Amino acid sequence: MSLDVFLFILRLLFIVLLYLFLMQVVFAITRDLRKTATASESTVNKAPPVVGHLIVVDSGPSNILPGTRFDLSPQTTIGRGPTNTIQLMDNFISGENTLLWLRNGLWYVQDAGSMNGTYVNNQPAREALTARFGDIIQVGFIRFKLAQ
Amino acid sequence: MQAKMNAGFFKRYRWKELGLLIIPFIILLLEMIQLPLANYFTTQITANTQQSIPFSTAILPTVRDLIPIFGLIFALLFVNLLMSIFFPKADQLLLPLVGLMSGIGVLMALRLGPDVGDPLQGTRQLIWVILGLIICMLTVFGLRNMNWLKRYKYTWALLGIVLVALTILNVLRVKNLNSPNHDQLNFGPFNLQPSEFLKIFIVVFFAGYLSENRDLLTEGNIRIGPLRLPPLRTLGPILLMLFISLLLFLVIRELGLALLIYGIFMVMIYLGSGKLSYAIVGFLMFFALGLLGYKLFGYVQTRFSILSIDVVNWQNWSQQTQEFARNGAYQVVQGLIALANGGVLGAGFGLGHAGVFVPFAQSDMVFTTLGEEFGLAGLFAIIGIYLLIIYRGFRIAIEANDDFNQLLAAGLTAIFAIQAFVIVAGNMKFLPLTGLPLPFLSYGGSSIIANFIIIGILLRISYNTAMEREGLA
Repeated sequence: MSLDVFLFILRLLFIVLLYLFLMQVVFAITRDLRKTATASESTVNKAPPVVGHLIVVDSGPSNILPGTRFDLSPQTTIGRGPTNTIQLMDNFISGENTLLWLRNGLWYVQDAGSMNGTYVNNQPAREALTARFGDIIQVGFIRFKLAQ
Repeated sequence: MQAKMNAGFFKRYRWKELGLLIIPFIILLLEMIQLPLANYFTTQITANTQQSIPFSTAILPTVRDLIPIFGLIFALLFVNLLMSIFFPKADQLLLPLVGLMSGIGVLMALRLGPDVGDPLQGTRQLIWVILGLIICMLTVFGLRNMNWLKRYKYTWALLGIVLVALTILNVLRVKNLNSPNHDQLNFGPFNLQPSEFLKIFIVVFFAGYLSENRDLLTEGNIRIGPLRLPPLRTLGPILLMLFISLLLFLVIRELGLALLIYGIFMVMIYLGSGKLSYAIVGFLMFFALGLLGYKLFGYVQTRFSILSIDVVNWQNWSQQTQEFARNGAYQVVQGLIALANGGVLGAGFGLGHAGVFVPFAQSDMVFTTLGEEFGLAGLFAIIGIYLLIIYRGFRIAIEANDDFNQLLAAGLTAIFAIQAFVIVAGNMKFLPLTGLPLPFLSYGGSSIIANFIIIGILLRISYNTAMEREGLA
């Protein structure tokens, strides 16, 4: 076999592989789209989400009374700003302090870039952390218990 | 407990990404094997013209020769592993697409290096890509919170303005607007191309600004005829950014960059407000400014007159056109000759001559170089990969959970779309040629790094969305 034949085969192989790759990606995309289509159908049929509560355990330097209950919606934000679901007027809480959301029966807690941080059972929640009922969530210097 | 964790890890491993990486790896290895064979072939063909050259396993490259591509493959596999451990839910299609593109870019730099008289070019490009992957991962890890980007939007805008100011100062210092690198900044051994980072700053600023002032933009309270404009206070910062793009156009004479920034502006203001009137007014302004530039500047006229050259009919060129094709239009005409030489299947990797006869074959004209070696079929595949990257970016934007993330992802994707379109069209004599690099394929460090930062941001947005949608499960 001469070298130019070999090079020609390599060239064809290259083109074929490129298009195989494109096809593989397109298949992956269509599978993805089908999955999201069925997933969005199933979420429509779901029962209304269970909401939880945050109960103040330790109010820290703020003047919120311990035992105060705050309602949680499936998508909750905590902070000093007026756009938050739970607005806490405390100087140690940032404008947007904490995000909480409920997915597949699990609560997720993540800090929203606050000064004094968010903690789940004393673990800093810079990345999203999961929380269960009974866990202690610290927002700034205020400590809450996650309850049903 | 350990076994359970392992099972979870295997279940959450990014198998799809890994599976999609296999074919790119094979392609890159094949090309790397072909490169020394092609070099051997060309040297033999110039030595003896008659006989066909026999193929023997002795001329196949050894494993040592393949080390550059193995380095890239290991880097991509490592990114796959890291993402599986820390961000299993991030988009799985972007990395294979981008990995293949930047791999082809590295191969092209390796192949063109000796032809353009810079044999280390390929090694440098490889280092840039690996550095880009590292910076991509740092972006994904570092962007804990998208709000951080949103909150400091004016800081980003200021940084962008500083970059422009530095470039203008540099231009005033150099005073040679015809040199191809008059818009670069030199920091020690690096030739920094500030425009590549400027585009990211501008998109972040626009996303933050538009997501906050969306209502004012859609409502509008100043009436000019049938048009309703928002108050000047909200419009001010946007007009300032437009002014910067105009400044780039007039002072630095970066036609491509001005086009890119204006394109981003139009895309984002349309996405942010959803009003067609802004887009129409923007287009009219664009044509008015373009006409003004055409009348005022010789360099714009030269670039446009290239479009009127009839290359197919080259035998009947007038004296004047021949002169023009040897000077002002040289680059584009040579590029078209390279494309024609490639044909449908291409000359084969390493067997073209674009590096020798097309100026800037490794950066501005890389698309025609690819066209000569991989042919029309290869070019369609490359455009297909760009389309898939852009589709994926817009999909991440649609699924994102708030205005800022949506606008940010869409704007960053629009950068790829506009940039790829402007350069491909420029190389094909469809639009005037500009000095923008082709994302991931052109030789150049700043461009690679900036594009990998964009990919990092997109991956992070997709991860945040998935986490809020479904959690870890």
